[in-house]
Amino acid sequence: MYSLWMYISYYIRPLIKWFLRKTTGLCELQRICYGEEHGSLRIKGVENSLHLSRSPQMKLLINHLNDISDNQRFAGSNEREILEGATRTVLLVKQINPQVHSQFVKSFSRCVEQIWGYRQLMAEVETLRTTQYDAENLDHERKLYELWKRLMPDETLISRVSKQWQDIGFQGDDPKTDFRGMGLLGLENLLFFAEEFKGPASHVLSHSLHPNYGYAFAIVGINITSMAWCLLREGNAKTYFYNTCKSLPNIRHFHQFYCYLFYEFDRFWIECKPKDIMEFSGIRTKFEENIRSSLLDPHGVFRINVSVDTV
Amino acid sequence: MRILMLGLDNAGKTTILKRFNGEKIDTISPTLGFNIKTLEHRDYKLNMWDVGGQKSLRSYWRNYFECTDGLIWVVDSADKRRLDDCKLELFTLLKEERLAGATLLVFANKQDLPGAFSATELQEILELDKIRTHHWKIVWCSAVTGENLLNGIDWLIDDIAARIFTLD
Repeated sequence: MYSLWMYISYYIRPLIKWFLRKTTGLCELQRICYGEEHGSLRIKGVENSLHLSRSPQMKLLINHLNDISDNQRFAGSNEREILEGATRTVLLVKQINPQVHSQFVKSFSRCVEQIWGYRQLMAEVETLRTTQYDAENLDHERKLYELWKRLMPDETLISRVSKQWQDIGFQGDDPKTDFRGMGLLGLENLLFFAEEFKGPASHVLSHSLHPNYGYAFAIVGINITSMAWCLLREGNAKTYFYNTCKSLPNIRHFHQFYCYLFYEFDRFWIECKPKDIMEFSGIRTKFEENIRSSLLDPHGVFRINVSVDTV
Repeated sequence: MRILMLGLDNAGKTTILKRFNGEKIDTISPTLGFNIKTLEHRDYKLNMWDVGGQKSLRSYWRNYFECTDGLIWVVDSADKRRLDDCKLELFTLLKEERLAGATLLVFANKQDLPGAFSATELQEILELDKIRTHHWKIVWCSAVTGENLLNGIDWLIDDIAARIFTLD
């Protein structure tokens, strides 16, 4: 049934597009850019339209942009040049007059920035994730100490290997093995949360020490990294990034997404009133389902709502 | 068959489970709570329980003892610092009445790491020969490369099957 539908739409789509082009005088990309408000609906529309394009020039352009973002070269002065080049190609292929359609030029270029910025972010995040935590690396070690200092400003760490790490929710006396498959990404996520969202982070940390509903802060944090990474990679997180980013998506946006997830998870966990930590797998799954469904709402707003609670 | 997999944190329990199930193993995070997988192997239905190994979770292990046919004890053969702890936890576990009938497979995991103790060395260090209460065997493996995992699991299944058939 599904393949039949695919078959029909493959042949019908160009017909509809041709008909609309003749009646409206606008190509599909223009109709999306003019018809949808800026944000995930418009950007996803443009992304989909580009993806389905059968024009050889457009395919070439897409491959070129993919290559640039996969190699993380979409930045700095390159960025403007790439955006202008991409827009010029589309204007040429679709025979659009940029003087008449200056609004389209602006809006389309912003879409390209988001679509390939997201792809580039995936590559950047993957680089961090596949960098294993290395206790010989001074930079890694410095970040780990910094995490301690930010979360426990009033307590000094007695030694590098110490049971104290368990106070912020690592498993044993040396956190280095806890990052596992999330690598440096797990540490950087935690550190960003502690540095940039000081209030919410200490609020969440204090919940994790709750006598009845407590949990291991850092380990849950690393599990949330895994969730954020999954949502990014599978594309569900596009709603978040496309609605939130005002400029080229970068690693800070990913960290912010992570902080949002961690903060919301903590709230959800406390609301669930778990019997003990063994309920983690179930509650984590339920939470992820909720997030996935809220990411389906194109107008979803994902902001940390710092509220006073009584737990 | 119900199989319970335990061991200290960072021993590689989840990696073994995922590797055995043919999943990706490079994206694992520490287990809080537990993972369950039901898989078919040699016409047997295996219910594998993988419970987190961090110290604060160990008191919950006992919630998973009931009806266990096989116990897999996973050891990080390269973590020399914690072998005492590892031995202590294992022998505490073996005193459990509800695990009395279970077959014990000890996986000397992480053989791919330099400086890892061999299965024979671990047998001595962990004093496994003292175990009289359970059928047991120690098998070397590497969950990362997948080497020798099947050997261990196959022995476990054979031993459990032999026991179940005798009972019948």
